[in-house]
Amino acid sequence: MIPTAKQLRTEADWPPEGGEMLGFKSSAGFETGILKEVRWGLVWRDFILEDGRVIPEHRISGSPHPQVWRRVDEVTAAEQEACEERLLNMANSGMDPRKRDQLFWAELNQYLAYTYLKFKKAGEQQGNQRTAS
Amino acid sequence: MSRSDEENEGQRVWKALSEAGLVEIRLEDFTDRLGEVKRLVSMRLRDLLNFATGTQECESAARSLATLKGLEVRLQATAPRQSKSSKNG
Repeated sequence: MIPTAKQLRTEADWPPEGGEMLGFKSSAGFETGILKEVRWGLVWRDFILEDGRVIPEHRISGSPHPQVWRRVDEVTAAEQEACEERLLNMANSGMDPRKRDQLFWAELNQYLAYTYLKFKKAGEQQGNQRTAS
Repeated sequence: MSRSDEENEGQRVWKALSEAGLVEIRLEDFTDRLGEVKRLVSMRLRDLLNFATGTQECESAARSLATLKGLEVRLQATAPRQSKSSKNG
């Protein structure tokens, strides 16, 4: 599908506002949905649609590149803990994260990405310090 | 941090996550990816305990590990079939 002029955005008018129609890549190809809100996760922004689907920013048509990411040290301990509680609550309530584009799938994706970046970076930094000393 | 630095940092993050198969986890790979992140946190926690450094990070790693273990148990319980070992890109 060829993007329309509306979909070719600039950073100045990004992210779009609630109520706008968005196009995004999906496993089925290209889909559209009405934006409800944009929410920062632990690493990237998620676009929550009116129908409940949660789409990561990098899959939204017209999103600026390179993408804006959060640094791991910007995430507070309280934010991390709140995310961990939500994930465990979702898991314990029987939700399945293998439902693509749903809240649990989206949160778990970000949590794994954040945890990986956080502890990989910390391990590398310590390794470099030991090598230097 | 300059805009150029931010862009480089963004590209570095994207590359690291892509290589680890963590930008967008394929549905059938959740258990494998979770296990790999859990191993990374376990190794980091062991390092922190061995070298008796970073109490705050140690607590954070222990908490993350407990969360990942809890999630892993639930994921395995609801797994539709045995997970594959292939990575996504």
